[in-house]
Amino acid sequence: MLVRINKADSYENESAVINAFEVTENIRNAVDILRNNGSSIPVISEGETLMVQTSSIYYVESVDKRTYVYTKDECHETRYRLYELEEILGINFLRCSKAMIINIKKIRSVRAEVNARLSAEMLNGERLIISRGYVKDLKKKLGV
Amino acid sequence: MNKAKIIFNQTMMISTAVLFGMGIRTAILFLVAGQYMIEWQWYIPLSVVLVGFLCALASLVLYDETDNESHQRLRVVIHFILVLGIVSLFGYLFDWYSDLTGYLIIAIMYVIIYTFVWISTLWMLKVDEKKINDAIDRIRDEE
Repeated sequence: MLVRINKADSYENESAVINAFEVTENIRNAVDILRNNGSSIPVISEGETLMVQTSSIYYVESVDKRTYVYTKDECHETRYRLYELEEILGINFLRCSKAMIINIKKIRSVRAEVNARLSAEMLNGERLIISRGYVKDLKKKLGV
Repeated sequence: MNKAKIIFNQTMMISTAVLFGMGIRTAILFLVAGQYMIEWQWYIPLSVVLVGFLCALASLVLYDETDNESHQRLRVVIHFILVLGIVSLFGYLFDWYSDLTGYLIIAIMYVIIYTFVWISTLWMLKVDEKKINDAIDRIRDEE
């Protein structure tokens, strides 16, 4: 595919036009990447609604029917359900257990455990578990 | 990996390892006692696969998502004993041994096979781990 990049005057004027014969998986992924680089989601922090950049999210967890968004050192509640965020957050995010979505770009390293699940060390030092059933999805996402 | 695939892989690995163990045993018998021919009952190869399958089923005790690492070690010990029980019982039923010496040989073979299967499994997990970490290195955000 021919790729042409023109210099924009400012970040606000950045845009992308894709001329595609067919909207394939690769095209959808490219759109996802382009959209998510600047996208954000609303979260609630001390009664106020704030916007959090999706690229700054480390993981999202559902506890007692509430959903929490974790960044490097903050935790905020969001009104979104986990399955909704799975759609919104895009290709850099992976369902890693029934109650958690993880940002794979924020993983420092993974360690295989005896029961075939993975222990992921995040860039902020936290350790999260990637359940056995989702390891295959991670490998697929990473092209391994 | 889903459970069916785990059971299938484990059955194949255990059966191969048992076959390897039987090969070593017959080679030792040839070298020590000059025994050229070993005769087996018709059901022996099938019994190996059956026991391989039962041992693979027992390996499901290892796969619990909620466990921490100390529980996992305990599960490995339980698994070792459980599989030894399966081998001892079915070995007795299928006439793999007829006296204490025979049982000891089977038990030693079991320890070797158990170690072989574990090393193979851990090796495969480590290969996957390295591939995943290499792929993560390429896309990781800068902090």
